Order: sequence, then structure tokens, then C-alpha cells
Amino acid sequence: MTQAVRTGARAPATDRFTLARLLRAREAGVFIALLVMCLFLSFATDGFLTSLNLLNVGRQVSLLGIMAVGMTFVLIAGEVDLSVGSTYAFSGLATGMLIIAGWALLPAICVGLLTGVVIGLVNGVLSTYGRLPSLIATLGMLSIVRGAALILTNGQPVTVNARNGALPDVLQSFGFMGQGYLFSVIPMQLVFFVLVAGLAWLVLSFSNFGFRVYAVGGSAKAARVSGISVNKVKISAFVLMGVLAAFAGILGLAFLPSSQAGRTGLGLELDVIAATIVGGASLSGGEGTILGTILGVLIIGVMRNGLVLMGVSPFVQELMIGLVIIVAVGIDKWSTRRTG
Amino acid sequence: MTDTQPPAPIVDISGLTKRFPGVLALDRISVAFRPGEVHAVIGENGAGKSTLMNILAGDLQPDGGEIRIDGRLATIASPLASRAAGITVVYQELALCPTLSIAENIMMSDMAARSVVSLVPRDEMRREARAALTRLGMGTLDPDTKVSRLSVAEMQLVEIAGAIRQRARVLVLDEPNSALSKRESDRLFEIVKQLRADGVTVIYVSHHLKEVLDLADRITVMRDGRTIETMDNSGLSEDRLIRAMVGRELDTAAQWSLQPQARSHEAPVVLSVEKLAAPGLDAVSFHARAGEILGIGGLPDSGKDMLGEALFGLCGRQGRVTIDGKELRGGDPQASIRNGMALVPADRRGAGALLTMSVANNVVSASLPRFSMAGFMRRAAVRREARAQVARLDARISHLGQKLGTLSGGNQQKIILGRSLVTNPRVLVLHEPTRGVDVGAKAEIYAILRGIAGEGVAVVMISSEIPELIMNAERVLVLRNGRISGELTGAGINEEAILARAMAS
Repeated sequence: MTQAVRTGARAPATDRFTLARLLRAREAGVFIALLVMCLFLSFATDGFLTSLNLLNVGRQVSLLGIMAVGMTFVLIAGEVDLSVGSTYAFSGLATGMLIIAGWALLPAICVGLLTGVVIGLVNGVLSTYGRLPSLIATLGMLSIVRGAALILTNGQPVTVNARNGALPDVLQSFGFMGQGYLFSVIPMQLVFFVLVAGLAWLVLSFSNFGFRVYAVGGSAKAARVSGISVNKVKISAFVLMGVLAAFAGILGLAFLPSSQAGRTGLGLELDVIAATIVGGASLSGGEGTILGTILGVLIIGVMRNGLVLMGVSPFVQELMIGLVIIVAVGIDKWSTRRTG
Repeated sequence: MTDTQPPAPIVDISGLTKRFPGVLALDRISVAFRPGEVHAVIGENGAGKSTLMNILAGDLQPDGGEIRIDGRLATIASPLASRAAGITVVYQELALCPTLSIAENIMMSDMAARSVVSLVPRDEMRREARAALTRLGMGTLDPDTKVSRLSVAEMQLVEIAGAIRQRARVLVLDEPNSALSKRESDRLFEIVKQLRADGVTVIYVSHHLKEVLDLADRITVMRDGRTIETMDNSGLSEDRLIRAMVGRELDTAAQWSLQPQARSHEAPVVLSVEKLAAPGLDAVSFHARAGEILGIGGLPDSGKDMLGEALFGLCGRQGRVTIDGKELRGGDPQASIRNGMALVPADRRGAGALLTMSVANNVVSASLPRFSMAGFMRRAAVRREARAQVARLDARISHLGQKLGTLSGGNQQKIILGRSLVTNPRVLVLHEPTRGVDVGAKAEIYAILRGIAGEGVAVVMISSEIPELIMNAERVLVLRNGRISGELTGAGINEEAILARAMAS
């Protein structure tokens, strides 16, 4: 018997970068949708296809994008994190309060990021060793962290300015992080997003850790049998998510230097999950890419921007975003059913 | 093994005990596995085979006794420790990542052993995977193919490729061929023999006694958590093994050897199928008479596995399916039930049963309108019906509220059968009616099916197990490439005839 079971017809390995292969990639559908949307807006509006507007879109999606990168890891690992909106608020507030208290910038940011690490660690431990479904564990943490932020600030807004005690040079650097431009053109937020996404892409696609994240989400049992510590990988993904949510929260405060525990980042977790899902990550784990997530984030960003440029009411915008989520994920499901 | 001086065992188990709440799963078992032998472990479901394999895999820890590997006392504390000791367990439910490629799956253990901050060596991965695949005669498979796109047989071979890749010294195959066709399992046997020649110990857990007799050097029989005996495989028969497994004489004359009697030649046609086409099926036409057990055989890719779903309307179809002259609409299982068809699907865990619901609710779940009134369940009627079915099918349960998932495979299957019977079917379609069911329960299920046919129901039995067809069906249709390639009746039904029609090209 020279032929294996039922495999004779299958072609041997093909080149990795043929056009057909690119089109078959999961991201292709999302990319085409984005392209169509951009083409339409270029003709339908005057303002869309200007470098100023495109950079503006880039800035607007950056914070969402940074968090969506973290969410990509969590979803691929087969978990979900609902607490990111609260983490966003809490970590930003923590950093802001330290700056007001006269701290230097770096320590203040480090403590802010550390709060993200701790929240991620709690989420991870509860969802693994604590044997709670991450949906439940992080739903609880959503409230706990939000509550902690309210207690910490006594529900009062925190405004980072010199009058409240921030040091002038700290204030300037902090402001540059959120509002500044690299080479006076590229918004700093976008720079951070690109850095985070690039790094995450390297880790997820080329590193052993990235491989483990895919393995754990694809089949926890297979990963465990192979000697991968499923719990450690999942906890790492949650910690990464926590840090990135905290980082986005800090950048958010740097952009808009006033924050209130009861309002900042409310419902943000749903936007983050939506963008990640639109980008092709699967809620059942094992699937998703950074490239896809970036496309998902851009789709939502371009859509918001386009609707504003076309003068569509914000209420309709919400409705359209919902449609995009359903259609984007639906197309993927419906087309897989047909082929497989 | 004909050596007068048997080689020192590679894995030596003595006095091993494992207790679960309320159950003694392993009761001081002792068995020695020698290097380079194929050692079959057989026993009914619940005999303790899976527990033993899980301990070897490092998934479970024993409560007592000792395991020696190469003569040294060993603790298999984790799956990783098991692999490190050279043991690889290929599970019945495969441990593969469907979302990853073949190469990634084969190399997963390597990746786990490397530093978490290292890079993924894509090219090496592909190269190594291709080498492992070639060794198994699967060189034509692209290592970049996602595992989710493979057949079950291919997946199994990918797992074995992973084991070979890790230079496993002990390979445990747990029910390796329950999903394989004849040709695929032949290929697997070749691989097992080659591994043995290379000095690998293969522990082979199986329900298929014939294969065990063909393949094994030694056979260990387990029953009720004990090792009953370990035999050299010479001069053994299936009867001998069955006796050891069940600990009692089966009524062989009545239940195992007798060809079913043709009693329904003149009975009216109940089920009539004309030019049925569905995925994998190409214009299949046949009929079944009242009181008949019609067997359907064929290889896994013959279309037989789609037939049950297509008949029942679970998938789209073309052609006509009629019961008592009344046409069934495709894609509408509820209409099929209303018109007198019942399906017992092959996939008990997935499609077949509500594992988290009670026995009683499972029994009535296909006939809810009859057991509800104004939107409420008629609990008394449900319990009465469930009790009746449990008694009729002799299902062993502790109480009607017991969750179906906690029953043994045989008893689950009886309850699912009961669910079908509650709908008062004219046609009962069964797909792999005894998959994962132990020997004793198999015989009981066959007897039940004969009883049902005796009441005038047309029973359509779709099965990969040829002996099952021979034993029960008075007429057998064989499928190949989506078409009927032969019809056998009476004395013409035998293994050679079925295989010839299933495999000849």
C-alpha cells in the first residue's frame, strides 16, 4: 500500500505566499469588507480620504486596538475577559491620582500597569485553579474593580492638572503620551498601538509562547498531554490582557486628563470583544490572529468615522456597529458551513 | 512470544489500586508489559481498562500498589512525566488540536519541552512532521493541513506519528479502530507490527476480539477492576476470551451464532426510498418490510454514515422517502417522527442524547407534545412511560431522575432506544447501535431489536461491525461510493460477501 488513507488526492505542500493562499486566509473576508467600506467612503464623502482624517481614525481606534490585542490572546486561549473596561478605568485613575500626589511619571505609570497585572492575575487564577468559567470570574471582577475605583476616588472625578498638584514636567510628558504627535504628524496613541500590535504579532506568530496559546485554546487536553501547563498559559494571557487594558486606561487619561470612576470605560469590554470577534477570533478558542484583530478594530473605527462624516446620528451608529458584528461573524460561519 | 526465558518487563504493575467515590475502579491489579510485545488488554466496559490507561498516562494517581519502569519504582505524576518515561497514550477521544496543523500537533511535545521564550522553528517542524508522516505511509499529506480537515483515521495516525516522533517505548492504543474502516485498520496493524519489530511495546485496548487474536502476543483480561488472567496468544478462541471477560458462559447458541430467520418475505413494505441523494449518497433506492431487520454495511466513506441522517431529514436531500406510502419532507425531523420514523444516531455524546438531563426526560424527549398539557410537562405520565421503557429494555439505573451521562454506554443506548420506541415508530433506523457498548449489553440490545421487529416495525441497522449485521439482519445492503453495490439475503450474508461488495472496485 503506497497511498495513505483517503489522502492521495491532496496536493503536497504549496508555497506559502501564493495569492490563492492569501485569499483563503481567514483575514481575507475582513480585509475585503474594510476595503469596500473605504472605497465607498472615499466616493461618498469629501473628508474621508485625507491623511489628516486617516491619522485621526488611527488615533481613535488606538486604545480600543491595544485592548483588542490583549483580548486576542485571551480568546485564542479559549477564555474571555469582561473586566477590561473596569481595569481601563481603575488603572488610569490610579496613575492619575499618583501624578496628582506629586509622583514622577515612570513610577506612577508602573504602579498603574501593576494594577493591571494584579487584576489579570486574579482573573487568571479564578478561571483556572479556581475552576470558575472565565465569563463568571471576569463578570465578577468587572463589578469588583469598578467598585474599587469608586471607593478609591469616592466617586469624584480625578483631573490631572497643575492646580491639583501634578508636577509641571510630569504633566507635560504625560500630556505628550496622550495628545502628542511623533514628528508632529503621527498621533502618539497610534504609535503605541502599532508598537503593541507589532510586538504581539511577533509573539503570537513566532514564539513558543504564542504556539502554546493556540495549543491551549485549540484543545486543552492535547496541550496538557504534550506537557504544556494549560493554567500557566491561560493566566499569562489574562495578565497580558490586564496590562494592556491598564496601559490603554493610562493613555486614555493622558489624552483626556479627567476621569470619573462611575463613567470611564463603561461597556468598553463589549467593544473590545466585538472588534476581536469581527477580526476572526473564535469564542471557542484556538483561532484568531493579530492581523485579523487589527482589521476588526479598523472596520469598527472606519465605520464610526464614516458615519460621522456622512452626518449619521450617533444612535444609528450604534445600530450599524451591531449589524457589522453579526454580518462579519455570520459571513464567516455561513461560508465555513458550506465548504466544510 | 516463544522465548523460554521471558525478557524483563519494561512496565511492571503490581497491586495497583484506584478508588473513586463509591467505586473500587482498580482492585490490586498486577500485569507486566514486556519490551517489544503487543499486549492486548480486554474487558467489558467498566472493567477498569480506562482507569489503568489513565494512570499510565499520568492523568490519574493510584491509591496503592506500585509501578516499576525498567525495574525502578516510578511515580507517573503528570502527563509530562508519563511522556518522559517513554509512554504515549493514544486516546479513543483524540488529544489533538483541531485548529492547529498536522506539523504543529506532531511537534507539540517538542514545543512544550523548549523554552517558552524561544522561537517556533517552522521549517524544522515541517521537515520533522513530513518524516514522521512518511514513516507511516502518509507522505502525501501536507504537514500544514489543519487537523480539523482530516478524517478520524488520519487523525489517529497523526497522533501515532507524534508518539513515534517522541521515540515512545510504550505506545498505548485505546480502542484505536472504533472509527476505522477495514483498510484503515489493516494499515494500523501494519504500523503496530512494525513498531513491535522496532522494539516498541504496544498496549492494545480493544473490544474487537478477532483483531486482538490476530495481533496480540499476550492478552490480559480484566473484569470488575481486577486482572483475571494474562494469556499467551496461542490456541485461544473468541469464546475463550468472552468467557474470561464476562465470567459466565454466554448463551452462544441463542445469541451469537444463530442466523436470523427470514419471516417477513410476504410482509408489506413500510419504508420505501427512491433515488435518495445527499452529501456522500448518490441515488440510493431500497425498501424495508414490516418485521424485517435490514442491515446496511459499507466502509466509512461509502455514504453509509450519512444514510441515517438523510433518511431522518437531519440534512438536505433529494429523492423520495415514504412510510406506508406517505412521503416525508426532507430537512424536517419532526415530520419524520410524526410519520413514524425514529433514529438512534451513532454519536451518542453529541447528537444522540441529553447527557445532562434525567433518564425520564430523555425517554420522552422525542415525544414532548404527548407528554405535555397546556405547556406543562405531565410528570406522572412521563414517569410512567419512563418506568415502562426502563423495565422493557432492562436498563440498569438507580432512579428515573438519574442523569443519563452517569450511565454506562450500554444503558445509555437502551434509554435512547427507549426514546425512539416512545414515538411508536413504524421504521426504526439505528446507526452503529452498539458502538462503545460492552459484550453483555450488546447481546441484550440485539434481543431487544429482534423483539421490536417482531412487533412489525421495520428495523434499519446501519453498522460498521460486520458480525453484527450477520447476526441480526435477514437482508443486508452494502454501500460503496454512495451507491448500493450489493444486496445479500439469508445464507448469502457472510463476511467475505459483505467485504467483497464494500471494497471491490
